[in-house]
Amino acid sequence: MHELSIVSGIVESILDFVAKHQIRKVLDVRLTVGELTHLEAEQLRFCYTAMIEQTAIQGSTLEVEAVRAEVNCPHCSYQGPPKYWEEALAMAPVPTLQCPQCGKATEAIQGHECAIKSIKYVT
Amino acid sequence: MIPTIEASPEETYDIELEQSLLQANAKLAKENRAQLDHYNITAIDFMGAIGSGKTTLIARMVGKMKHQLNLAVFNGDATTVDDVNLIATQGVPTVQLATVNGCHLDANLVGKALLKIDLKTVDLIFIENIGNLICPAEFPLGSRSRVVVVSVTEGPYMVKKHPHMFLGADIVVINKIDLAEVMGVKVSDLTRDVHTLKPDIKVIPTSCKTGAGLDEVAAALLAAKGSRSDA
Repeated sequence: MHELSIVSGIVESILDFVAKHQIRKVLDVRLTVGELTHLEAEQLRFCYTAMIEQTAIQGSTLEVEAVRAEVNCPHCSYQGPPKYWEEALAMAPVPTLQCPQCGKATEAIQGHECAIKSIKYVT
Repeated sequence: MIPTIEASPEETYDIELEQSLLQANAKLAKENRAQLDHYNITAIDFMGAIGSGKTTLIARMVGKMKHQLNLAVFNGDATTVDDVNLIATQGVPTVQLATVNGCHLDANLVGKALLKIDLKTVDLIFIENIGNLICPAEFPLGSRSRVVVVSVTEGPYMVKKHPHMFLGADIVVINKIDLAEVMGVKVSDLTRDVHTLKPDIKVIPTSCKTGAGLDEVAAALLAAKGSRSDA
């Protein structure tokens, strides 16, 4: 449950933000989460709802926006979406670091994000 | 009943924050790395499931390398000190990183462990992460190389089931190969799965029981000590 560590970071940041500004109520917190992170949107939302009880931001919702992975191949200069492993046992195809064009190792340039993108509140 | 305030559109604010949540750990990991580099120390992070053989592998590596290099071992363990004792009997400095209920080590804990050893007298640190194939991947520690240990006793689908862990690894050790036949697991299939995810990863089949592959692991760890790549 590393989602719990991440969510406690979110809640701490938002409470800190609320304490420093004239805010009556936080409505909505938007996260961007990369495809290459191991974070489950459903678990993030569940942890969030559990953690904000009895706090100043109780009742606010967490929205999770997915960021697709992008890779760059140093061998053939390919840049774009990764190759997906279709036969993997996951619910959805798994992104790999194999180049879709030449099959060699690529580097991820996008997909590791985990950030609070924006916060919607009432003053 | 909790009173609810419905906002009218004109008093609703929507502001951009762009605040990275993994940044705090990543920053501490960078600080650890800078400190390690300053003392010319390489740290190697061992990850893998419970019972994959991380501790035994580290113990074997300590046995092989302690006469060449000054080693230290950090053992992440949720509660017990059994693992750290196994290493400590070999006479190298060890630090127990007890996460209590935490499922991964983080850079903050490793930074604290660095204060417990004399950095001037250490060349290479092995960090044993918590037995878990999912959570540790998101938390870099400041190590130069990340090793994932899987064993054939975890079954034929280990790699397919936990693909994310391998994307961030530099070396994969497939352990307990002496049991592969009994388990009906093909080491070549596991190797192929790892390379499907990341073609340039080094895969080393080992058995800590027979000693197979252990020299190759030691050589790979020494190569990681020599390299300048980031982990």
